[in-house]
Amino acid sequence: MSCELKSKDRAGVINPIFTCQPAGAQFVSIGVKDCIGIVHGGQGCVMFVRLIFSQHFKESFELASSSLHEDAAVFGALHRVEQGVDVLLMRYPHVKVVPIITTCSTEIIGDDIDGVILKLNNGLLKEKYADREVHLISIHTPSFVGSMISGYDIAVKDFVSHFAQKEGMVNGKINVITGWVNPGDVTEVKSLLKEMQVEATVLFEIETFDSPMMPDGNHISHGETTIDDLRSTGNAIGTIALNRYEGGKAALYLEKEFDIPAIIGPTPIGIRNTDTFLQNIKKMTGKPIPESLVRKRGIAVDAITDLTHMFLAGKKVAIYGSPDLVIGLAQFCLDMEMLPVLLLLGDDNTSYASDPRIRELKENVEFNMEIITNADFWELETRIKNDGLELDLILGHSKGRFIPIDYNIPMVRVGFPVYDRAGHYRYPVVGYAGATWLAEQMANTLFTDMEYKHNKEWVLGVW
Amino acid sequence: MPYHQFKCSECIPERLEHAVDKGAGEELTDALPLGYLNTIPGTISERGCAYCGAKHVIGTPMKDVIHISHGPVGCTYDTWQTKRYISDNGCFQLKYTFASDMKEANIVFGAEKMLKKNIVEAFKAFPNIKRMTVYQTCASALIGDDINAIAEEVMEEMPDVKIFVCNSPGFAGPSQSGGHHKINLAWLSQMVGTVEPEIYSKYVINYVGEYNIQGDQEIMKDYIQRMGIQILSTFTGNSRFDDLCGMHRAQLNVLECARSAEYICDELRVRYGIPRMDIDGFGFEALSDSLLKIAYFFGIEERARAIIDEETARWKPELDWYAARLQGIKVCIWPGGSKLWHWAHSIHKEMGLEVVSVYTKFGHQGDMEKGISRCEEGALAIDDPNELETLEAMYTLKPDIIFTGKRPGEVAKKIRVPYLNAHAYHNGPYKGYEGWVRFARDIYNAVYSPMHKLAFIDISKDEIPTGKGFETQRMYSDVKISDEVKNDTALRQCTSKYDPIPALREKTYTFPDPKTGEWKVVSNEKFRKNSGVA
Repeated sequence: MSCELKSKDRAGVINPIFTCQPAGAQFVSIGVKDCIGIVHGGQGCVMFVRLIFSQHFKESFELASSSLHEDAAVFGALHRVEQGVDVLLMRYPHVKVVPIITTCSTEIIGDDIDGVILKLNNGLLKEKYADREVHLISIHTPSFVGSMISGYDIAVKDFVSHFAQKEGMVNGKINVITGWVNPGDVTEVKSLLKEMQVEATVLFEIETFDSPMMPDGNHISHGETTIDDLRSTGNAIGTIALNRYEGGKAALYLEKEFDIPAIIGPTPIGIRNTDTFLQNIKKMTGKPIPESLVRKRGIAVDAITDLTHMFLAGKKVAIYGSPDLVIGLAQFCLDMEMLPVLLLLGDDNTSYASDPRIRELKENVEFNMEIITNADFWELETRIKNDGLELDLILGHSKGRFIPIDYNIPMVRVGFPVYDRAGHYRYPVVGYAGATWLAEQMANTLFTDMEYKHNKEWVLGVW
Repeated sequence: MPYHQFKCSECIPERLEHAVDKGAGEELTDALPLGYLNTIPGTISERGCAYCGAKHVIGTPMKDVIHISHGPVGCTYDTWQTKRYISDNGCFQLKYTFASDMKEANIVFGAEKMLKKNIVEAFKAFPNIKRMTVYQTCASALIGDDINAIAEEVMEEMPDVKIFVCNSPGFAGPSQSGGHHKINLAWLSQMVGTVEPEIYSKYVINYVGEYNIQGDQEIMKDYIQRMGIQILSTFTGNSRFDDLCGMHRAQLNVLECARSAEYICDELRVRYGIPRMDIDGFGFEALSDSLLKIAYFFGIEERARAIIDEETARWKPELDWYAARLQGIKVCIWPGGSKLWHWAHSIHKEMGLEVVSVYTKFGHQGDMEKGISRCEEGALAIDDPNELETLEAMYTLKPDIIFTGKRPGEVAKKIRVPYLNAHAYHNGPYKGYEGWVRFARDIYNAVYSPMHKLAFIDISKDEIPTGKGFETQRMYSDVKISDEVKNDTALRQCTSKYDPIPALREKTYTFPDPKTGEWKVVSNEKFRKNSGVA
């Protein structure tokens, strides 16, 4: 009985859990106000990423392409970046920030985007846009390194390091770097901060990704983090990165560059991790945890207690997706007496082995638990299909939807992307509200399954 | 037909010749927008890449195949589960996608060995599948991996498998159209002629450029088989790999989407002398003409007429119910490549919609020629549209509905123009008589949605009626039609089931024996030939 961390031993991927780095950089880009990224590569690298954002949020987001064509692949494509920046700035007069995001193709042909940015800064921007604040930021995200997760991490760091400044007095705020989350998570994090009476710069302000249909029409979904927000990260009293792998780099950068203390993780999923999050805020700001949060926590614990030893205890769960999310969910499942028997992390990040949370799992889990890195969905499916793995529940995003469908296993959609359930982006998985929502989603999903399968469905009559 | 100057594009003069207004009494030759040219970077164009055109649009609808992309994982992930090309074998091609997952070391040292290992592992994971397609991506093209050589090696070592290689990296052309072209020709030169198909009818066709979106192919196949015609292969929706290897034995190529698949038809004509016949599965009249055309070719027009009469009698009263209520509804037909001309005239003539604009993301001038000739005067035609131009067009044209892709549909939604998914459909299939009624129903439900009407109300300014608990589509749509039409008992709303396809899969058909001409039942299994996919 043990917890084992190992890498998938096949070479290729059968049904991928993650996409590649540029998608992560694009997700960061849409969170920044007055910012439209240019992805330097083939058009599909943008077109499909925009599509998947729209599948998840049911909204459209603006991202441009340098539209690499055959000649560019042969002769280099920096002129297309130059033209792309100019065209974008001419037609979008509000745009102030243009990250240039590389892909596999442009990294292989070796286009020097840092050089072209220098050239544009000294040329085009001075000559044609002298009266306009424009920031070009190079973001190197070759698709053959890391994954969408590291792409996100790199891009957050690149945005922060481009803007962050230490000017005069400390601004009294903390930086909260959320990682790749949903609008519902940002709302919950901000509500916890408000209860703590802590002012924070939240990277990134993406509550507006859930944008309204207004009577005056045309409301383009976009993040609200401003250049000033990014600048002021250099003046904060501390940084809390909720996720180790999505934003941790930026927190470390601020610590190293500006002596801003950083607390990285744990991801505040579940009651215990949320407690830790609040404790960390308290430590950083000196503000007490108020009675109102004791009460809020109490409501969550009350709700979850209704479910754990009666329904959730002993349920075997497989969890896949973003590492911080998966680890956080596994920890929460353990607190709810469930058995997370299989965790699938979709990239080959070698630092997972030194993650203290994974070490803690390895030291303390008393049942058979596998953590697979560089995993694909076949790692999950073949265990069910060929190795007799029995699961009560699957937690993960929509790309894995055919496994629960084909093997009749209840599943709760969580993470990114979720496109086959309505409105999930509106609900948090972090904080006390997230804990309640997750536990109740799991329970209700199990209940529906009991009814469809006539599996002791009469139990539900009197609980 | 003057060029249309978008205000938002005044600063990029090279865009001018990509949009035209169809003027009164003007000839097509007066002006035609430019098409299929390199995209202007930074415009926020809606185009995809040549890899997706090859793999995602044309390759993947093949149903009994391991589809593997040789490159970093993103190309595979991003295109996976974004289409609705179903199949009658449990949709293996939708559920499973494969990537060689190229990493940095592979970029430096080459990825051929790793690809080979991948291929072998993939076959091992699915022992019942013996066919594979391998798609090049930007990364594998740039490092110069010889995928064909690897495929040959594997086929030598594993004699029961067949591998098709498509070298169409993302950057190979201005749009996905480049990929269509490449995979057409690659399939023809590598695969066609490698299998001798079983012929069980006197009349044999390939059905080309049809991808079985929500069951389009299966609904059309029903009509074609009822005529006694054997569909040797469908390029590529719901088709088996081996069926497509036997395309050379057809007597006729029936071509639906000319944009994506005319290349293979033209080459089959050159190499094997198989004539090409362009048809159209959308719209009662266009479809009836198409079925008749196919029937004339074989001299069996009475069989076509019987089907046309039966289907028209069954579905026309339902189409007309919607047509009576859709008159004058303004539509932008903004699809990918060819549906602008498949739909423009039929939707006007049979449902009464006014086409105020057509666009094409990856179409060529030929598509524009057909599209413009078939749409209304005053319509705006746009090649390679971009975000700002489409917004400007929607503000000026004020359409009641837009047929476009999922993401642009979200843009339209925000300015309160309802959209229908032109690529994957809302509640399709849309082909066939039944499908066309489904399309009409979806348009009706979109245009007359009470929720849509509520979106225009500003509660801070407008007078809000407080005595209303609800409204219905009929309360909007029936205001403008006469009592005579309203009370016409011959007309009725759509009665098509939520999913009409499973029933079709259970049908049996008779075909005239190729030698004796005697009509015989051919078992369903024979023309379905499900592979044993677990």
